[in-house]
Amino acid sequence: MDALIEKLKGQIIEQLNLAEVKPEEINPDSPLFGEGLGLDSIDALELIVLLEKHYGIKIQDPKDGKTIFQSLRTMAEYIKSQGKS
Amino acid sequence: MGETARHYYLRKHNLAKAYINGTGCISPQNSIDSDWFFDEVHSPKGDYFEAIEPSYKDFIAPNLLRRMGRAIKMGVAAGNIAIQQAGVKNVDAIVTGTGLGCFEDSERFLLAILDNDEQFLTPTSFIQSTHNTVGSQIALIMKCHDYNFTYVHRGFSFESTVQDALMLFDEGKDTILVGGIEEHTPNYILLNRKANKFQVREPDMPIWMSEKRGIQMSEGAAFFVLSRNKTQSSLACINGIQTLYKPKNSEDILKKLHMFLSSHRLTLSDMDVALMGFSGDLIFDEKLKSLLPEIEKETTAGAFKNVCGEYHTATAFAMWTATKIIERQQLPKVLAISAKLPSKIKYVLIINQYLDINYSFTLVSQC
Repeated sequence: MDALIEKLKGQIIEQLNLAEVKPEEINPDSPLFGEGLGLDSIDALELIVLLEKHYGIKIQDPKDGKTIFQSLRTMAEYIKSQGKS
Repeated sequence: MGETARHYYLRKHNLAKAYINGTGCISPQNSIDSDWFFDEVHSPKGDYFEAIEPSYKDFIAPNLLRRMGRAIKMGVAAGNIAIQQAGVKNVDAIVTGTGLGCFEDSERFLLAILDNDEQFLTPTSFIQSTHNTVGSQIALIMKCHDYNFTYVHRGFSFESTVQDALMLFDEGKDTILVGGIEEHTPNYILLNRKANKFQVREPDMPIWMSEKRGIQMSEGAAFFVLSRNKTQSSLACINGIQTLYKPKNSEDILKKLHMFLSSHRLTLSDMDVALMGFSGDLIFDEKLKSLLPEIEKETTAGAFKNVCGEYHTATAFAMWTATKIIERQQLPKVLAISAKLPSKIKYVLIINQYLDINYSFTLVSQC
């Protein structure tokens, strides 16, 4: 799980162009939106594409996004649960 | 409103002047520094003039900055500087002009389509790629919910913003932010280079005497806070602007120029400086070269593309230069074509051409 979280950190930094953020500064349990990384709705779309592009996961129900993208850890858990890590 | 309709409107309604209360300019020179006045002039690296960009963190919040391409950063920063100088908190309209728009993001989006076989397309670069992104980003930052328009009229893009501002003043607006923005990407430069569109200028050959084909392509952003009424911070005044599409010859340009000036009850001899848009391309500059002796008979001629290069909205840089010349009451030697420099400067006339297609006259004066 830890290795997947580290991989996700790098992918998120690249996809969202978070040039100012270092991987070690991202707390895997902090919220991705609002507080924490302070992402917004456009970033949510970027994260959906990231999951599809890198892990082959399509989020069928947009309502699930709220749970999946709660934190880096919940994202990693979701990828694991889909057997795509 | 189309080009012809706008011409008709501007000629029919003797529009008021526009006062320049603040300027911001990013160019291949150190124009970001408000004290810079052509004292140290950078030369292009080979055939291309790259803009000198500031540290954008000083102007734009990091969460916005990460999504912006260079054109947006340059435009937002230049707009910010102009607004700060004018000392206004908001404006009644934002009007921008660009020939190519946010090219970096357009390329990024199109490359993503190709690279990912039309899948996994993310919204950011698409959103940021539209031509009106600069104006809209400035509006979002300023919380300006008023008129917002972007002109994409090739070599008339910036001129159109000024014409629109003059009409908006006629409709009752008081303060308007106008600006011209251009960025180029490595791919665009490479393609133009392959098509032999560029030239490496000989350092000792003045741009107005060039006998080679090709331009020195460039980029930049220049913004102006304009007001309908003169204020304490007014730096200069735009008396009028006129565009001219594919004139037949230099006589045609001269005739239209006389008409333009006479509509302001002025003649060429009233001009203290005429900044001419020589690009260094033998063919594109042919008409301006023929016009030059006529201009020099009456006034002091100058150039500006030897310091800013050629791009769709280079007139914006020329207007920034004209404002500075009026402020400082001095024509920098690096810009002077004529040997005799003026002792006082009331009127600066900009005569621009873009690829021998788009010509324009802009009259800037002391206010």
